[in-house]
Amino acid sequence: MLVMATLSANACQVSKTLAPTRGMTGRLLVACCLVWLAPGSARGQTADDPLTLVTPQDRRPLPTVRFDGRRMVAVSELAGPFGLTIADVGQPERLTIMREDRIIVLTANEGLVSVAGQLVALASPPLERDGDWYVPIDFIGRALALVQDEPLELRPRSGLVLLGDVRVPQVVARYQRAGRQSRLRLMITPQTEHLVEQSDNRLLVTFEADALDLVLRDMRSDALVADIRAVDGRPALAVELRDGFGSFSATTEPALGGAVELIIDLRPRAVSTTRAAPPPTPPAGSRGGAGVAPPAGPGTGPAALIPGETVGDTTLPLLAELAPPRRIRAIAIDAGHGGDDVGTRGPDGALEKDVTLAVAQRLRNRIESEIGLRVVLTRTSDTAVSLDERAAIANNDRADLFISLHANASVRETAVGAEVFYLSLAEYGDEAREAGFTGQLVPTVGGGSRVLDIVPWEMAQLRHVDHSARWAQTVADELSQRVPMSPRGLQQAPFRVLVGANMPAVVVEMGFISNPDQEAQLTSTTFQSAIVSGLLRGIIRYRDEVERETLPLDAGSGRLP
Amino acid sequence: MKRDYWIYGGMGVVALLGIWVLFVGLPRWYPSDGVPTQTSEAAGSATDDELVAATLFYISDDGMRLVGFERRLVQHADPAVQGRIILEAQLAEPPAPLLSPIPAGTELRAFYLSNQDAFVDLSAEVTLGHSGGSLEELFTVYAIVNAITTNIPAINAVQILVDGKEVDTLVGHVDLQHPLELNMQWVADPNTDAAQSSPADQTDQL
Repeated sequence: MLVMATLSANACQVSKTLAPTRGMTGRLLVACCLVWLAPGSARGQTADDPLTLVTPQDRRPLPTVRFDGRRMVAVSELAGPFGLTIADVGQPERLTIMREDRIIVLTANEGLVSVAGQLVALASPPLERDGDWYVPIDFIGRALALVQDEPLELRPRSGLVLLGDVRVPQVVARYQRAGRQSRLRLMITPQTEHLVEQSDNRLLVTFEADALDLVLRDMRSDALVADIRAVDGRPALAVELRDGFGSFSATTEPALGGAVELIIDLRPRAVSTTRAAPPPTPPAGSRGGAGVAPPAGPGTGPAALIPGETVGDTTLPLLAELAPPRRIRAIAIDAGHGGDDVGTRGPDGALEKDVTLAVAQRLRNRIESEIGLRVVLTRTSDTAVSLDERAAIANNDRADLFISLHANASVRETAVGAEVFYLSLAEYGDEAREAGFTGQLVPTVGGGSRVLDIVPWEMAQLRHVDHSARWAQTVADELSQRVPMSPRGLQQAPFRVLVGANMPAVVVEMGFISNPDQEAQLTSTTFQSAIVSGLLRGIIRYRDEVERETLPLDAGSGRLP
Repeated sequence: MKRDYWIYGGMGVVALLGIWVLFVGLPRWYPSDGVPTQTSEAAGSATDDELVAATLFYISDDGMRLVGFERRLVQHADPAVQGRIILEAQLAEPPAPLLSPIPAGTELRAFYLSNQDAFVDLSAEVTLGHSGGSLEELFTVYAIVNAITTNIPAINAVQILVDGKEVDTLVGHVDLQHPLELNMQWVADPNTDAAQSSPADQTDQL
């Protein structure tokens, strides 16, 4: 272990390690060519929804445009609000931006920008179009924040740019329905004082904040709720109620990372007329981070409660207790690799992509003929499918399980055995792990913080990991009775194909195709049938266990059974 | 007779002059760089006092794990320079019988720090030369991540780039869209995996 005498990064030394100068001339030539060709591609520019700049004094729009799908902002639009001076240094491919004595240097079509002597990577390179410069919106949080005197933060998902000392909690709202009841869950980060009040046909949740970073998930209308939306110009959320609405109760629960979850259960009119709710009992002097809820009836005034306390009709069962178990009706089978992506290759030339497709098709036939589940294949032929697209296919086709088939390889020919993986959370850090459930803000590369851009799509699997682990264990158990397993048959790993799957999901490495014996096995009908039998048995066992249980498979997902 | 003295004396002077040139003059005129390591370009000269132990990661005998292997590398106070030294050692071909988890020919294009994250920009050989297996990909990724985070505690996480760009994965498995933290899950435990981790007790000086 090294003991470092000085651990702080020195900007000058960092710069020395960066950006090899070789090839710079060539890149400049390419950049010049791209600038020369720019008028043609400028036609790809389209207007986009503006960002909202929030300061202690006011809110104002910050226009953005899209170039080839990339959301960008004109440097000229940033100059006024952020006190920038744009200097012409006489180099057509470079732009110098000054904020007092701090300098930002942009280079056209280079993803790295120099910010006060430090190099910062952007999501996409700056563009120059007809004399105007555009930067990706992450420039605000990664680069501009480094030259500002006041805190500056970009919240890309809600389109907010926070400048100065402003209070803007993030509120991730999920709406779930089970039976005749509904539940609205609001994860509030950081814990912020708020008020829940009903007025006529509207439930209003108001936060003591300058603005609201609101994320609406799984929103839908039903017999109780017509709409859920942000209130224009106010840090508030409005729930528009239908005539069928009867009563509600609100509970707050402390959550990880300084967050609090406000849970509002909504009940139909018939229920509220048969069960009178007790009047709320607000704790004296407690409003900090508290939810406030009247029990029932229009026009009821607000009251306060502290995290962990419930106000309203607490005699009714919780939503999760009412929800029926989710049945497993469909499974997505992902044959790994395909097309130009051959995967790994055996010593005798067997290709992973062919083995995975053959096993996927065998498994589909067995499932359809023997247990009658609907099967979704992410590919049915030798075609290339991106990793995210594979998860998207499973999500869009509402699969209840996802299994990705692969064959492994090692530089050691002796490596042998099947392995079952499910997603590990450790690689995403504590903040990311929590963000998967709460949408918590995480530190950015350039300072400040932002909403993790992998929420919600890329972290869809987080909420299912417990079930994925259970299913993976079942599959590993069944496979171990039929085929050789590696010394570590059940493992966790940060596999990209899993992160977007919105259902229990596993990756199965069926064996080491780099091992000559296993290569022969993997291409044989007998071995493939043994694998398929193990997988099929794992699916049946898991399905039966889940359906025997009374609790829902995933009460937190908001998906209907 | 007198003439012989002059001849012998002259030869002696020439011999002494040659000895002086060989052992004193040449070393003085062409001083040694004093570079004992492959990482000398980044670190300059080093003596034994300036070398420190660093743990690098290679593939175990059974191919199922990474094993830690102690190497003596040049010490540098700047984490950015130290990180480059470590990575260049990790990318170099290891002595037999060790096997590298990183495809041959992979070069370090750039290494830099931002806050507590390190950015490691590798050449395309890291994907083009890869075997394609998920376990190998895990080994490649975590040999790099762990080599940095184990040896430089100030660095919290490592973002791997290929040819200067963010990538989803190297060869279709491990998610590289985010900086990765230290993960010893793939590294053999010397206490429980003695058979596979035999190289871990070895040390070497690059």
